[in-house]
Amino acid sequence: MGKSWLRDYIVKRLLYAVIIAWGILTITFILVRVGPSSPADKYLANIAARGGDPAQVTAAVEARYGLDKPIYVQYFNYLGNLFRGNWGWSFSTSMPVIELIKTHWIYSFQLILLSSIFAAVLGILIGIYSAVKQYTKTDYAFTFMSFIGISIPTFWLGIMLILVFSVKLGLFKTYYDTSLPLFSLDNLKALILPVITLGTGMLAGYVRYTRSAMLDNLKKAFVTTARAKGLPERTVIGKHVFRNALLPLVTIIMFDLGSIVFGGAYLTEIIFGIPGLGQISFNAIFANDYPVVVAVTLIGTFMVLLVNLATDISYTYLDPRIRYG
Amino acid sequence: MVDRTLDTLKAIGQRLSNSTRLVDYYWQRTKRNKLAIFGLAFIVFLILLAVIGPFFTTDPTATNFDEIELPPVGFTTQQSTYNIRTEQLTTKEISGTWTHPLGTDSKGSDMMAMIVSGARVSLLVGLIATGIAIILGTIIGVLSAYLGGWADNALMRFTDVMMTFPFFLLLVLIVFIFGPSLAIIVLVIGLTGWTGAARMIRSESLSLRTREFVVASKALGARDTRVVFRHLIPNVASLIIVMATLSIPGVILAEAALSFIGLGDPTKSSWGIILQSGWHTIESAWWVAVEPGIMLFLTVLAFNFLGDGLRDAFDPKSNV
Repeated sequence: MGKSWLRDYIVKRLLYAVIIAWGILTITFILVRVGPSSPADKYLANIAARGGDPAQVTAAVEARYGLDKPIYVQYFNYLGNLFRGNWGWSFSTSMPVIELIKTHWIYSFQLILLSSIFAAVLGILIGIYSAVKQYTKTDYAFTFMSFIGISIPTFWLGIMLILVFSVKLGLFKTYYDTSLPLFSLDNLKALILPVITLGTGMLAGYVRYTRSAMLDNLKKAFVTTARAKGLPERTVIGKHVFRNALLPLVTIIMFDLGSIVFGGAYLTEIIFGIPGLGQISFNAIFANDYPVVVAVTLIGTFMVLLVNLATDISYTYLDPRIRYG
Repeated sequence: MVDRTLDTLKAIGQRLSNSTRLVDYYWQRTKRNKLAIFGLAFIVFLILLAVIGPFFTTDPTATNFDEIELPPVGFTTQQSTYNIRTEQLTTKEISGTWTHPLGTDSKGSDMMAMIVSGARVSLLVGLIATGIAIILGTIIGVLSAYLGGWADNALMRFTDVMMTFPFFLLLVLIVFIFGPSLAIIVLVIGLTGWTGAARMIRSESLSLRTREFVVASKALGARDTRVVFRHLIPNVASLIIVMATLSIPGVILAEAALSFIGLGDPTKSSWGIILQSGWHTIESAWWVAVEPGIMLFLTVLAFNFLGDGLRDAFDPKSNV
């Protein structure tokens, strides 16, 4: 008893996620199909140079990829292939796209995970401190710095860090060393600059959101009550104010993943030469390797979808008052 | 349609300026925020730079291989040249000159001229793309709130799908598919960036819809279009202004980031394109990457300061 609404709720969210996923796949399919380029393009220059007939080549390649079939057949083939894990062939790296992603996702994952932890822990602590000491010099200083943090372009910050700490001071390598084992101190050291690059914008955002969420709750009556009954200030701030500020914060942190973190990680990987998904997409753009660019976008989007789902479900634990019908 | 648009503009204008006292009031509230005024001043400076700057600088595309990688005024660097005939490596010290106050890049193009023409590109992209996104967002938000029912449901589910796409990854995909030209970049940012605005304007309009003056106007027999253009839109105008100001920096950064990864319009020297070329010469000519980055940073900072100040000024609950 009692928890059956939770099961219903989760089922409902799952169904909803499936609908959104279908929408994403459909939009991507339409984009690729209405785009001006065809998979035959990369062979054309070669064939034309040898005096072949371009029209014949295009027809042959399109038949090979099933592009001569009616559009709805193509659409169902596309969906079916994606579900069977057949994500296409990356000709620039000569391996199936799914294999390429399996070998590279871990680099993106470690970067995003470390940056998120760095930004969330530091951001929330500074935000709480700033709110408790509202209108003091430290508060103003932190607020001003957070403005700078959200305004600084990620890729420029990365280049500046390389310029100062790697080129001028020689403290770090200018390029990420892929031969390092993943779980080692050297690897952690190599990730310091990338984590600062990706984490700064997020950190500044979290400081602002935490501060304003804390301030919203600090003025509430239950805080006065908690103080009046003689609770120590630590408990008032930690248990009463912060617990209530947490919900909007979780929403924002999860929302950031889609809008800021993936874009930032993409650029950070390129600047530091980290071989994650952003880097393989970047290389694929120059090689005109279609399936890889599409796959990276789809993976990022599905990650956001899953995280949104997890956020919705975690709400029911963070705020026991929430009951979804 | 034109009549109606003019009518709406007039209504917005009236809300803000019919009573000069209201404008005065908002101006007073904004003025108290020093950072917002700094932001406004910088934006005005930037607009002037973009509009009249190119008439005073040299051609940004002109190359001069006798003057490559000159540092900015006040800086000196070591430059090594290899003479093929004498097989000797000579290193000489060169300092910046006033002919090229911000130095030159690896092709000898004047950095000052490139930065100025980049300002034009970045501002144009920022303003036009944000304009498209905000207009689309307003239309979808107001329609969704006003129509309700299945139309609202369909529009909001579509918004959810669009919001799930990570913004930058979607931009990369579309620009990759349709090819990098400035027009496509602007259009794509505009056509994908409306989701946040649509949601916010929808929720604002939903609460406005039940307010007395809207109900009264309907009871007096006003047509739907009149209610929408005369009452709903003018009342979300302040929200729209704040959202536009705060989304311009994101758009400028998105264009710069696209240019940076090689999906920019190669015929326009936008700040992102300069930054990309500076990234490759970071060890020999740091200023090529530093200068456009500082401009980007200050521009984004200025719009954030102004947007924040405006939001506080328009918010009746905040006492600035």
